[in-house]
Amino acid sequence: MNKKVIKTVSVVGLFSCLAIGFTSCEKRDPNSPGVEFMPDMYRSPSLESNMAYTMLESGEIMQANRLPVKGTVARGYLPYVYGNDTAGYGNAGRHLHNPLPKNETNLKQGEELYGKFCVHCHGTSGQGDGLVGGKLPGSPPSFTGALKNLPEGKMFHTITYGKGLMGPHASQLTQEERWKVVLYIQKLQNPEGMATANIAANATPAETKPEEKK
Amino acid sequence: MDTILNKPQRRFLAAISSLFLFIISFNSAFAADAEKLFKQNCAVCHSLGKNKLAGPGLEGIGTRVPDDAWLAKWIKNNKEVLKSGDAYAKKIVGENNGAEMSVFTHLSDEEIAALVTYIKNPPQPKEATTAKSPAAGEEKAEEKGINPLAILIGVIAFLIVIIGVLRGVAHSLKNIQNERMGLPGEEAIGPWREFKMWVVNHKTTTGVIVLFILGTLLTEGWYALKAIGVYEEYHPTQPIAFSHKVHAGDNAINCQYCHSGVEKSKTAGIPSVNICMNCHKGISSGPNTGTTEIAKIYEAAGWDPDKAEYSKPQKPIQWVKVHNLQDFVYFSHQQHVKVGKQDCANCHGDIKEMTTAKQVSPLTMGWCIDCHRKTEVPGMKDNPYYESLHKKLAEKYKGQPITVDKMGGIECGKCHY
Repeated sequence: MNKKVIKTVSVVGLFSCLAIGFTSCEKRDPNSPGVEFMPDMYRSPSLESNMAYTMLESGEIMQANRLPVKGTVARGYLPYVYGNDTAGYGNAGRHLHNPLPKNETNLKQGEELYGKFCVHCHGTSGQGDGLVGGKLPGSPPSFTGALKNLPEGKMFHTITYGKGLMGPHASQLTQEERWKVVLYIQKLQNPEGMATANIAANATPAETKPEEKK
Repeated sequence: MDTILNKPQRRFLAAISSLFLFIISFNSAFAADAEKLFKQNCAVCHSLGKNKLAGPGLEGIGTRVPDDAWLAKWIKNNKEVLKSGDAYAKKIVGENNGAEMSVFTHLSDEEIAALVTYIKNPPQPKEATTAKSPAAGEEKAEEKGINPLAILIGVIAFLIVIIGVLRGVAHSLKNIQNERMGLPGEEAIGPWREFKMWVVNHKTTTGVIVLFILGTLLTEGWYALKAIGVYEEYHPTQPIAFSHKVHAGDNAINCQYCHSGVEKSKTAGIPSVNICMNCHKGISSGPNTGTTEIAKIYEAAGWDPDKAEYSKPQKPIQWVKVHNLQDFVYFSHQQHVKVGKQDCANCHGDIKEMTTAKQVSPLTMGWCIDCHRKTEVPGMKDNPYYESLHKKLAEKYKGQPITVDKMGGIECGKCHY
């Protein structure tokens, strides 16, 4: 009889140890992801995007996200010839023109992109009254004011390299996307004129290359 | 007044005072206008203090430039001044590495005159609003420090000790009593032996208690086992106390501004420092942590805020990845966001309210499949091929909604290959 009792008690003890063992792994510590079964299935030796890793030889820590090897060209990449200087800005304004047709589709996509990448500083109507724009030392100039007659090439140049307090947005927007944004800004510069005249005249089917699929 | 001044005198006084009032109001309106003009046109590149933004700071401009007329000409169209071969113009362009200033030909001469007056005599800067102390957030995190289980175990241990002491006391008291009455002293029974005797005498109660404990432990253990490898609720401290609440919530910045890869790539992407700098070039102090956290961005970007240039060595920020999907499963953000039109919040929760990014979804296979079984797929009107496939499916599953699983969304090879 006594042996049985001891057996039961020890079983209970074993389970309680197990349970405490497991429950203590509960994610109370926000810095611990929890228990991993076979960690190398979760963290493989191959480089994951957005993860830091250590270079073994030097011990130097480097980001897995690297710049492309020198001289390589990504698919769909087009070189941009104008330099990030005064001359480049002026030349872009004179010689650079939008390759995209001014049609509804491009304008709509431009509006969508403007809403994601520009609106928080430049504001919905382009008056420089966005939420972030108000927190900058000076709000961005209005598209209907100082920038009313800004040529499209200069807009493209500015989105690519930034100007004044605005930073370069080339890493966020492809060249095609930048031109779509330019189209929408032109609508903001001249809300009435653009809507009727230009679109009607350019209502040709889109000449843009089909969207790249992965 | 009536007694002292006659009528014409009073009229004259009224006229004078109204003129005076007019001048005052005109002047203040003028000042306000100049401030507005400055903010709209100049402040993007120039500060009123010493610090350089894109262009030089304007403190002490009155003593630097040749004269007001030159300044007005320069503001209106600096290109013309440069063309005329003005020596001072060439000097300042050289000092600023040839940076080009915009022309302001759309401003009237009066507006420019107001601006000149304004930048020469700027208003005293208001006291910088002190940032809320960062301690507030830290205290909150420490509040829930003590584990309730530890408290329970402590109480039980304490009770056991008390019971042991009381038993000892009771036993010696009884022995003293027995001694007085001339009875032989009782042998001390160990607590373990007494417990065993109690168990033998109360078999049913013991059985119930043991079953209860076993049941609880088994269920607890079962759920604990199921949580292995699931990162739900994981919200690690990041090297920079970046708050999604401030950026995506309060300032309503679109998720894609920073995670711009979400429609183009498998991963949404952690923004590189240049994207932080797109705004933080101008914003060096935040509402929660003041300048301390933003200074870390400057350090990473190699940005010198005093000289307003990238002149220091760069150091990558080692963000801690929160959502980690194993290598044996394929997941693409592009498919889900671009084609599937899924909102970020569907999987990532209300990130606009989070101070530290937290994983709210378990990211288990059951969770994936659950969603694939529920989510309906609309046809693709602009693609005839996919539209025809969709029609075929609609015929096959008459009356049933076409969900992701109906088009192979839960096949093994879809995600595991």
